[in-house]
Amino acid sequence: MTTATRKRKPADEGGAVFDRELNELPQELRWREWMGRVEAVLFASASPVGRDDLARVVGQGASVEMLIEDIQAELAGRPFELAQVAGGWMFRTKTQFADTIKAAADLGEQSLAFTEMEMGVLCAIAYHQPIDRAGLADIFGKEVSRDLLARLRYKDLITSGPRSPRPGAPHTFVTTETFLVTFDLESLRDLPELELVQHPD
Amino acid sequence: MTYQPVTISDDLDNLPQLPGWVTSGRPETLETVAFQSGAALTVLDQLVSDPRHGVPVKLLANRLALSAAAATSKLEGRLTREADLRDAYHLTPPGEARGPDGDLLAFWRNAVRLRVSGTGEIVDLIGPDRAEDVAGWLNAGQDRARTHGPLAGCVAVLRAVLETDDRAERVACLLSDVVLARALNWKVVSPVTAQRLTKAALRDLVAEGQGADLAVEVRILEAIEESIRLARDLARRAYTLRTVAPKLRAKGSDAAVDLFLTEDAVAPASVLSPRIRGTSIPMTNRAARRFCDRLVELGVARELTGRPTFRLYGIAP
Repeated sequence: MTTATRKRKPADEGGAVFDRELNELPQELRWREWMGRVEAVLFASASPVGRDDLARVVGQGASVEMLIEDIQAELAGRPFELAQVAGGWMFRTKTQFADTIKAAADLGEQSLAFTEMEMGVLCAIAYHQPIDRAGLADIFGKEVSRDLLARLRYKDLITSGPRSPRPGAPHTFVTTETFLVTFDLESLRDLPELELVQHPD
Repeated sequence: MTYQPVTISDDLDNLPQLPGWVTSGRPETLETVAFQSGAALTVLDQLVSDPRHGVPVKLLANRLALSAAAATSKLEGRLTREADLRDAYHLTPPGEARGPDGDLLAFWRNAVRLRVSGTGEIVDLIGPDRAEDVAGWLNAGQDRARTHGPLAGCVAVLRAVLETDDRAERVACLLSDVVLARALNWKVVSPVTAQRLTKAALRDLVAEGQGADLAVEVRILEAIEESIRLARDLARRAYTLRTVAPKLRAKGSDAAVDLFLTEDAVAPASVLSPRIRGTSIPMTNRAARRFCDRLVELGVARELTGRPTFRLYGIAP
């Protein structure tokens, strides 16, 4: 059975054999090694890693969830955590250290700080997606600049969605996976409820 | 030129239909639901399984997928209407994001296409995160269906999924439809579970409230009755379309008619042109529009959106 699984892996075609199963190790050591692998993969990746990708570095029968739980247990009390976000898991620092990190280097400031208007537009898109520029103008009572939308798009928080059935067939905007990760949401349902959203008419 | 509009024929009365004693009176016990659902499912089964009745099954499935999507949207708290779901799905250019509404309709449209016999395709559709649980949920539902009838099986699987994750409404409804399809030996899913469910009914179900099972079963039964009406209606409409088909002389009109017999909404600009979808027959944008207008003139199709542009046509109600 092991050979069959190995054959399917692309790594084998390159010649180097990556040992997933670790059959020669005793049970306990094997589990530790798998935990190490999962942790290493997550540590090395800047974006969330999905279940499928993690399952590829551990044995066939091993439960990724249980490995993750064990890692999380070991991380208790550390300033960072292993969090489940849209599409997988990622390492991140705990929010209580946000100020500390900002004080040390304001790198985060550059990539994710929003102006009030940007935040407003992003919220409007999140709740009313798919929505086009004309729809946003209706909400804000003024045109929303293309530059602002381009900045949000550059940060990969929004992307183009369906065409709007109006003259000129403008794009609508929808939020992305990155949006969910950035604001720590598992799905759009985690957005705080608004009365407005409950009664659109 | 004017055309004689075709009247929808009534001489299809040999189609299986619901006996009056099923629809009269609301069932008040689990036993009466079981009894009435048996009768209703027999009729629906005949309609969708026997090609002699001429029910356009793919069209029926796609139409049910749309209303299931609207129902699930309500359960999930987004409250998107059918028309907006349809727009989000049909107006997304290839390769762009559909957004939550378009994705929801895509979910149900894929659901009515999957083969229910194995779990592989089901897992692919609902995502690998829940892969380990799916078999267990389905077994719970199917065991219950064997001992207490299909609708009890549906309720069991709904409860099993929602107890694990109370936000997995669409997965719960899909798996309930899978249990129903397997109990009736259908090859594909007919999405009836979601249609009439409410948030409150599902909350009661998870809380094991008094009469919660009955309430949910009654709602599924109503949806089955509604699907029978829809299937009969579509059979008539498809019959009318097939009758006028020889009058259509546009190049590729046969292929275009086939498309109308499978899709609930056809966008002339993208689905019929430059090539009729699924074929290599070319059709210009203008020819596509003329073809759709002709169907409307003949009284067999309808423009669905009421817009002057970005129109969608279909024969379904």
